[in-house]
Amino acid sequence: MDKILLIPVFLPLIAGFVLLFLPNKIKLLSRALTLVISVVTFALAIRIFTLGQSNYAWSVLEIGNLKFDLLLSAMPLGAFILMFAMGFGLLITLYSLKSIGPSAKRVNEYYGSVLLTIGGSAGILLSNHLLFLLIFWEIVTVSLYLLITTGGKNSNFAATKSFAMIGASDAALLLGILMVWVLSGTFVISDISLATASTLPIIAFLLLMTAAITKAGAMPLHTWLPTSGEYAPASVMALLPAAIDKLLGIYLLVIIVRQMFVFKSVVLSLVLAIIGAATIIIAVMIAMVQHNLKKLLSYHAISQVGYMVLGIATGTPVGIAGGVFHMLNHAVYKCCLFLCGGSVEQAAGTAELDKLGGLGKKMPITFAACLIAALSISGIPPFNGFVSKWMVYQGVIQMGTAQTGGAAKLWPIWLTCAMFGSALTLASFVKLIHSIFLSRLPDELKDVKEVSLPMKVPMVVLALLCVFFGVFYHVPLKLFIYPALNIEPGTAIFGTWDSTLATALIIIGIGLGLLILLVGLLARKVRTVPTWTCGEAQTNEQMIIPGTHFYKTVSSMGGLKQLYTGQEKGHFDLYNQSGKCGLGLTNFLKWLHSGLLPMYLTWVTLGLLVILFIVCGIW
Amino acid sequence: MSIPLPAFVAIPLVTAFLLPIFGKKGKAAATVLANLATVSLLVLAIVSVGQSRVYEIGKWSIPLGINLVLDGLSSLLLLAISVVSTAAMFFSIRYMEQYTAKAKYLSLFLLMVAGMNGVVLSGDIFNLFVFLEIASIASYALVGFGCEHEELEASFKYMVLGSIGSIFILFAVALVYGNTGSLNMAYISKAIQSSGLNAGLTFALGLFIAGFGLKAALVPFHAWLPDAHPSAPAPISAMLSGVLIKTLGVYALTRVVFNVFGISISTGWLLIALGLLSMVAGAFLAIGQWDLKRLMAYSSISQLGYVVLGIGLGGLIIAEGGNLAWASLAILGGLFHLVNHAVYKSLLFLTSGSVEMSTGTRQMRQMGGLAEKMPVTRATCIIASASIAGIPPFSGFWSKLILVVAAIQASFYWVAAIIVFVSLCTLIMYLKVQRYVFLGELPENLQQSKEAKNSMLVAMIFLACLCVLMGLLVLVPSLRSHILNPAVKVLTDGLEYSTKIINM
Amino acid sequence: MLYALCFLLFMIGLYCAVIKKNMVKIVIGIMVMEYAVNLFLIMLGYRTGGIAPIIDKSQLEPSTGQLTAAFLNSSVDPLPQALVLTAIVISLGSLALMISICVRTYGKYGTFDITQIRRLKG
Repeated sequence: MDKILLIPVFLPLIAGFVLLFLPNKIKLLSRALTLVISVVTFALAIRIFTLGQSNYAWSVLEIGNLKFDLLLSAMPLGAFILMFAMGFGLLITLYSLKSIGPSAKRVNEYYGSVLLTIGGSAGILLSNHLLFLLIFWEIVTVSLYLLITTGGKNSNFAATKSFAMIGASDAALLLGILMVWVLSGTFVISDISLATASTLPIIAFLLLMTAAITKAGAMPLHTWLPTSGEYAPASVMALLPAAIDKLLGIYLLVIIVRQMFVFKSVVLSLVLAIIGAATIIIAVMIAMVQHNLKKLLSYHAISQVGYMVLGIATGTPVGIAGGVFHMLNHAVYKCCLFLCGGSVEQAAGTAELDKLGGLGKKMPITFAACLIAALSISGIPPFNGFVSKWMVYQGVIQMGTAQTGGAAKLWPIWLTCAMFGSALTLASFVKLIHSIFLSRLPDELKDVKEVSLPMKVPMVVLALLCVFFGVFYHVPLKLFIYPALNIEPGTAIFGTWDSTLATALIIIGIGLGLLILLVGLLARKVRTVPTWTCGEAQTNEQMIIPGTHFYKTVSSMGGLKQLYTGQEKGHFDLYNQSGKCGLGLTNFLKWLHSGLLPMYLTWVTLGLLVILFIVCGIW
Repeated sequence: MSIPLPAFVAIPLVTAFLLPIFGKKGKAAATVLANLATVSLLVLAIVSVGQSRVYEIGKWSIPLGINLVLDGLSSLLLLAISVVSTAAMFFSIRYMEQYTAKAKYLSLFLLMVAGMNGVVLSGDIFNLFVFLEIASIASYALVGFGCEHEELEASFKYMVLGSIGSIFILFAVALVYGNTGSLNMAYISKAIQSSGLNAGLTFALGLFIAGFGLKAALVPFHAWLPDAHPSAPAPISAMLSGVLIKTLGVYALTRVVFNVFGISISTGWLLIALGLLSMVAGAFLAIGQWDLKRLMAYSSISQLGYVVLGIGLGGLIIAEGGNLAWASLAILGGLFHLVNHAVYKSLLFLTSGSVEMSTGTRQMRQMGGLAEKMPVTRATCIIASASIAGIPPFSGFWSKLILVVAAIQASFYWVAAIIVFVSLCTLIMYLKVQRYVFLGELPENLQQSKEAKNSMLVAMIFLACLCVLMGLLVLVPSLRSHILNPAVKVLTDGLEYSTKIINM
Repeated sequence: MLYALCFLLFMIGLYCAVIKKNMVKIVIGIMVMEYAVNLFLIMLGYRTGGIAPIIDKSQLEPSTGQLTAAFLNSSVDPLPQALVLTAIVISLGSLALMISICVRTYGKYGTFDITQIRRLKG
């Protein structure tokens, strides 16, 4: 009976609920309270992690065999994710202190929802009872909705779309959970182990999987993410879709794959692998051609989920460890990227890549953090993204060599997708870094200043984490990931890779390059003259080379072009398509209700006749 | 403390006839008196929870006399009626200042309450019909209270369809009397048990289902509801959607089907089919609406489908001789949803009233950005929406959860899937409300809109608190065993009702 | 036979309410249905050659004070008559309301044709 588990869940939930309904005149209280509570929960999360296994149980409701107990328990996997989730909560709160200033509308609603997110995710990660998991899961969904609505124009549309799509997946989760309950007779996660041999368990698995991948943002249910990325505040994107939603989605996926279901069906791992590979490649292709900073980042947030899903789909220890590690790394660097994006947006007043440029000198710290995070996401050694991607590749190869079955036979395809995706990621971040920080400074941005301290700290911390996890990857693997997944710490998973050696080699390489450059500069005599422009006066604007056209050739290629325009118009968006179907049915029904009283009377008469037929048993 | 049961009918009835005396000058006094009546009814309803008694009017013993019966189901409904009517009456204090003839409004309101209380308490089937007509006629008049084009049209359509429903019921009452020689429900039930259903009685059962189904606005008998409920003044819409369709429709239907005729497999399936049809059709129609109150009205149809579905599912399991625990879980879900829906739907209509009052329109396309202008209305609306969409930990979540659990437990996977799907549709329609009414840009002409007046806010906050706390009804074992379980037991006992009443 | 005629009357009323376009005719149709049901109720209690169920001294056995067997066997059932009286009162109330609404609607729309009165739809 460890009551300590209750505090990180219910303290923020209750405080958040109260804050939501606080009048707007009280402004300071919400910020102070959120900061204090997020510090407390972070500290408690560390304590829970160091405590090891601990449990709390309280019987809430019992109707017949429907047992509804509040079971909280700190499992290794949940506890380490909890620590990071709470850490992200704290960093974002810190960042928000400045970015969501007192002038913003509905401040209390913003901070209240942040607290709800913190409490809800703590609840998901700690609860050992599926129905409570569902309840906390929905609380996080609602807080995402409320957070997006605090954004600017059009955020109401983005919020509605996100809530509708995630709500649909929550509905699937509810059905799945209850099917698992009927099949296994219990709601307690640690007691469930279902074989996916017959139809019902497979349906239950697919339903639960839908919920997990929608939250994480994998295809084909990803479309809420870019839409909200475009309109929601950057800190919101950094908190939920980039960090906590990924942690929760992948956490659920790992639990259902490793704990609740025993894989007997080849089809399921094939499904997961296809989702993973397709997500990686398609999302990154779309990301390359985006013009909006936050939308581009959102598509990358989708693409990276593919690696996690693919890693888990391999079913090999290395692959799963890689997937989980990638989830962690992704949360770190994508959160950092969104925060940088938010800083840029706040400083420059726009997130359109066309209008940005040359901010590297004006905002050096943001630039540095963004560069590190961009290199991480592109999988450049020695940053963290590389390590986990490498593990996923190894997992795919091992699956191909060790297993039989549909998914394993196709391993070269998965590997190609993963590696090609990584290359395209690099390509699109070259464009991003160029457009924002390099290039030439537009006139309107002359007065841009670096952001203030509370916004810098989270970015720097996250960037440092990127480097730390990359160079000393043994530390997180040994401390968090292997114990969480019950993997032997000694497992040789890196093939011939040695990080220290590689880092040394890379540093030597960079040094050599610099040396050559220096020698070249010194050896050759260079004459600098102004560019000759035929005497025409050139404005600053005309001299800017925007990065947005870097990959125009790709998007105008035959075949791909149609796909891109279709995607832009939302033809492949499940939300739009199902909306259209629903609207068709609705319009038909509305047409039936034509306001004609005789028609209504006819329905009544016919209804009476049918009822009489049924009751009298003439049927 | 034992309360004389006729008080539930007598208090509102007497007050209703006193009110017009005050005329135009005594408006304030009339308002106070009407509020006193509803509050005293609320107190009586709370005190009477957990009791079960029979009262014989004029000391004439049954079957000769007319009796009033208070049991678990009745007291649950009485509670719902009095909570909603108290809130709606309090809301009316300031809201009805827009209209003239407030005293007449209050008197009609109380007549409707008297009718509903009578329906719930009556143990005599013809008396039930009389009270049902009192409530219905009062509601016809209230729907047309505004006397504008649309109000009159809605009132007429409602009245035509409603009268046909009443005629069906009267016809069925006549058939029952002709075949059993009694009008007391307990004695009818006893006669049916001893001699079985003959053709006339089966015909009567069909007529009852159609008639009460019409009052409950189940698809395909629903066409009057989306016209009538939006046209009434907001507190009346709250009463109509909140409790009227439930007492006149669902309560009477279940009482007759379960306790008088006895549930059979075919009626169980019939209720499930009606429920599912209403859920799905209502949800799709609601999503397509741009009139705020019309959307809510369609969603009432859909939500009532849940109630009927739960009760029908339970009935089917009983009729098939299945596990009684499963059946009572399904019925518990249905009845709990009934109570929840009474609270959150009336809250939603009250918020729509305050929005309409401050913006002067019900068209969602012409609104937007009211979140900053009307924070309290928005907060209460969001609570009610979360509740109706089944978002934990609000009340609607628990009832829907119980319904889904019951369906899955009885291996009705497809029913569970439909329940969850309609719940998603409900979520989408209320997201639409939030999006177009409270979020987005504030139009030019609404810059001056103000938050609702005090009495309206108090009523809305009262109901919003209930929405948050209602989950306790099922979560706290002592509350559940006092309020919900007796009501469920009345239905699962089925025909044992008659012996209980006769021996009491 | 009489019951069938009664049912026929009910159907005529229903037909009138469903088919007719004039609001007043719809109201008349509903009233026809109402009276068909009332008629049905009255017929339930009727006995051919029955007497009014009014108890005066001549109906009591002088010795015991009980009702005579002749009275019990030939008096009609009084209950349906009470029911019908109540039902008539109720239907009068709703008839009055319906007609007044008809008149007000005519004032607003300028027509009695129900197919023209359809602002509420969808």
